Amino acid sequence: MTVNMMIGTEHYLIVSAILFCLGLSGILLRRNMIVMLMSIELMLNAVNLTFVTFSHFNQNLDGQVIVLFVMAIAAAEAGVGLALAVMLFKKFKELNISFFEHLRG
Amino acid sequence: MGSDVFEITVNVIKMLAIFLLMVQLVPILVWVERRGSAFIQNRFGPNRVGPLGLTQLLADAVKFLFKEEFVPPKSHALLYYAAPVLALVPGAIAFGGIPLSMPIDIQPFQMFGSEWGPYTFKFQSYDLDIGILFILAISSLGAYALLLAGWGSNNKYSLFGALRASAQMISYELAMGLSLVGMLMLYQTLNFSNMIELQKGPLHFMFFGKEILIPFLPNWGIFYQPLGFLLFATAAFAETNRLPFDLPEAEGELVAGYHTEYGGLKMLLFYIGEYGHMMVASAVMVTFYFGGYELPFSLSDSLTSAVRGAFSSVNLGNVMAALVMHVVMLLKILFFLWVFIWVRWTLPRFRYDQLMDLGWKTMLPWSLANVLATAYLILMAGSAV
Amino acid sequence: MAEIVLFYFLAAATVAAAVGVVMHENPLLCALHLVLSMLGVAGLFFLLQAPFVGAVQIMVYAGAVMVLFVLVLMLIDTNKDDEKFSGGNISALTKGLSVGVLSGLLTSIILRTPQSLQRSVTYEAYEVIDIAKLLFTKYVLAFELLGVLLLVIPVGVVALSRIRGGTHDR
Repeated sequence: MTVNMMIGTEHYLIVSAILFCLGLSGILLRRNMIVMLMSIELMLNAVNLTFVTFSHFNQNLDGQVIVLFVMAIAAAEAGVGLALAVMLFKKFKELNISFFEHLRG
Repeated sequence: MGSDVFEITVNVIKMLAIFLLMVQLVPILVWVERRGSAFIQNRFGPNRVGPLGLTQLLADAVKFLFKEEFVPPKSHALLYYAAPVLALVPGAIAFGGIPLSMPIDIQPFQMFGSEWGPYTFKFQSYDLDIGILFILAISSLGAYALLLAGWGSNNKYSLFGALRASAQMISYELAMGLSLVGMLMLYQTLNFSNMIELQKGPLHFMFFGKEILIPFLPNWGIFYQPLGFLLFATAAFAETNRLPFDLPEAEGELVAGYHTEYGGLKMLLFYIGEYGHMMVASAVMVTFYFGGYELPFSLSDSLTSAVRGAFSSVNLGNVMAALVMHVVMLLKILFFLWVFIWVRWTLPRFRYDQLMDLGWKTMLPWSLANVLATAYLILMAGSAV
Repeated sequence: MAEIVLFYFLAAATVAAAVGVVMHENPLLCALHLVLSMLGVAGLFFLLQAPFVGAVQIMVYAGAVMVLFVLVLMLIDTNKDDEKFSGGNISALTKGLSVGVLSGLLTSIILRTPQSLQRSVTYEAYEVIDIAKLLFTKYVLAFELLGVLLLVIPVGVVALSRIRGGTHDR
């Protein structure tokens, strides 16, 4: 059995998958609203890594352009999310999502 | 890094030398700042230790080294110690990306009984195609040092300073980036070396189909984008937290801002970081708007050929010519560093709302207008530079 | 060889920092770990010969978005975060297990897919201007829409932050 020492697509894709799953677990496990927002950013980063990987190995620049779009939208999303978090904190002095359970039903 | 032992060795030494150049300029700048401020305010300044007070720096260094190691109680120790180091890193990395002199061509030569070369050594630590973008990106990380210092030292004044610093840096980064866009559209490159190449010769450009040549002016960026230069210089003052924008460490309100709890060597690291940022800003200004290491007109060509002619060996002549141009670059950088110091002791500090108004309501619209006007002129009047 | 070492170093640093984001109790330290993770991803972009995207990643994510996060976390006193993790042990275990299963599934799928793309070819260098051309021709509609979005977002954020909380409620 020969050990393939080249760094190929699958290496980058596995890193990306691990990052994505860590972000997902952050959303599922954490209760602080801002940490959840950060986990979303982590997942978006993982997706960006996939895009750039395929862009590189396919010799196709479209993937990098999409990454630029994702970044812009992620920045916008973070801005709105943080504004909401700050507003909620000003109103309730609380960022733990279990506090907002009375919004249910 | 290089293809053989010689090239790798030279490149590593070069990187270290550029880093040490940055660090070693700091004591001189501190001396210039103290003596210069004394000169401006009509007093003496440090003049007792050594000739002109030059060895005051050594005395200060010894004092800094032997200060008591102090950690504020209830502080976050890791962040408290990480912040001064982080303050040094972005400036040091960014300074390595700017060409400080022309590339050195080395012809093949004999050494230790074997054949070496030919090589081309660039007078910078690394050369990226996206030069200015990478340097802007790295400099934007400088905010973390102030944030960590403010948070880590568990002091409300530090925290206020850190909050002010981060808000200010985010606000002025926009204007800073946009003020460079006009120049980038003219150069059509992000690489510093290409920009310097384009700024050679007398001022000449295409204007509505006619070629305009002004022989008594150099082809420098400042003559194409004076507004862009003004905006960039102002934003650079804000990014480096220098007066009139040093709200993060306004001593009248916040004791000493983010480095209230720091003393001794740790505070010295913050100083080196601040001066490092100033050097990067000055070097970017010189490269973008003042022709980099080149002298105006064909002076640099005649100077380098004269230097090359003075040495019998071609390689030695090339090295010496590059060193002469390096001195030119250093003099230009030092001039802008003097402007930084000069402004500090001339203008009063802004109020915080005035700072934000200036950033968002004045500089951002003007830099956007600059970008639009430049784009329109390039489209209508033909490409310049 | 250098590429392999760099890849494993960057990948390990990125993943370790990402674990820190999920596990750290202080939200501020989570944010700082996220900055490290993003810098690691930017390094991977440089390794993938996409320096432009890497520099934009550092500038936008690490330099702007995360500074904003850290700024907000400093404004909000987050030291007293009583319940960091949701639910009881069983719930957390279930969630952790399901995420682990998902990551295992993804990894095995990636490993089992025949990789037609990992042939060793010499990659052509591209220039930033190629990305710009693509952005302003093929994706020009999306680009304009993004501009509109980026105009709407600040307006929305300003409107949101003008709502007064507490006793000043209108």
